[in-house]
Amino acid sequence: MTTTTSSLAPVAVRANERLMAAALAAFLGLGLIFMAGFSPAIAFHNAAHDFRHAQNFPCH
Amino acid sequence: MILRLLSAALAAGFLAAIVATGLELSLTSPLIVAAERYETPAPGQAAQGTTRALPIVLAHSGHDHAAPDAAPDWQPAPGFQRMAFTGLATLVGGVGWALILGAVLIALGREPTLQTGLAFALAGFASVSLAPALGLPPELPGQEAAPILARQAWWVMTAAGTAMGLYLIGVRRSLIAILGGLVLIVAPHVVGAPPPPDTTSAVPAALAAQFAARSLAVSAVFWTMIGLGFGWAWQSFGSAGRRHA
Repeated sequence: MTTTTSSLAPVAVRANERLMAAALAAFLGLGLIFMAGFSPAIAFHNAAHDFRHAQNFPCH
Repeated sequence: MILRLLSAALAAGFLAAIVATGLELSLTSPLIVAAERYETPAPGQAAQGTTRALPIVLAHSGHDHAAPDAAPDWQPAPGFQRMAFTGLATLVGGVGWALILGAVLIALGREPTLQTGLAFALAGFASVSLAPALGLPPELPGQEAAPILARQAWWVMTAAGTAMGLYLIGVRRSLIAILGGLVLIVAPHVVGAPPPPDTTSAVPAALAAQFAARSLAVSAVFWTMIGLGFGWAWQSFGSAGRRHA
């Protein structure tokens, strides 16, 4: 079995870093939005209740 | 890059949350508290027979996931604690939207500035606030509505479709992309939001109408601040030691 390795060009590294940063931020952001706006856990719902209504997330 | 993106999103979310929390507490929260007086237990729920002992009930009796015989669920105390949690939720939401806004700008290779931040934030407002509100208008506690999961599913579909449609129209800009974008934006409204049950609500219509308008206004300011804040923070955090390629 052979393994091939390739060294990334600097441009590719930069583009890669950009997409990694965007993916990480998007993942974190969606997690926070789920917590504040969608989580069915009753404690989250009650804590974020007025925010959900004010920002037009479907609530109860 | 990652650190700059995360810190700019934190700063933007924080700035936006300060402004939006002030607006929520002065414009929308008083209407929510007023509407809770009209809130009635949902049919088929265990708490149906209970009398309305508390003047303000935060934990809605119609919640899908409430265990029928569990101890009373935690809820923030009225007054300061409730206001503080509204502020905290706004902060979490603001940072969350700012992270997504930053991710989109970076993924598309746009330099975040005041202008690009504002432009993409307005697209965000249109996607997650305005478009879902066309089918599911901002509603007060005590107003009858379709099951929560159906509404959440339609909300997510509409927000994603509108965002993708705006991307195709605003970024791609070919004829096919524009036509596809229009279809994506219009389709959720042709399908239609889950309709509310055919019952009347005790919440006065004037209160509900005022709330819907205020909610959209607060959301517009929230998004504007997120966009401007992110563009500003990205530029300030990058000015030290950043090389222009």
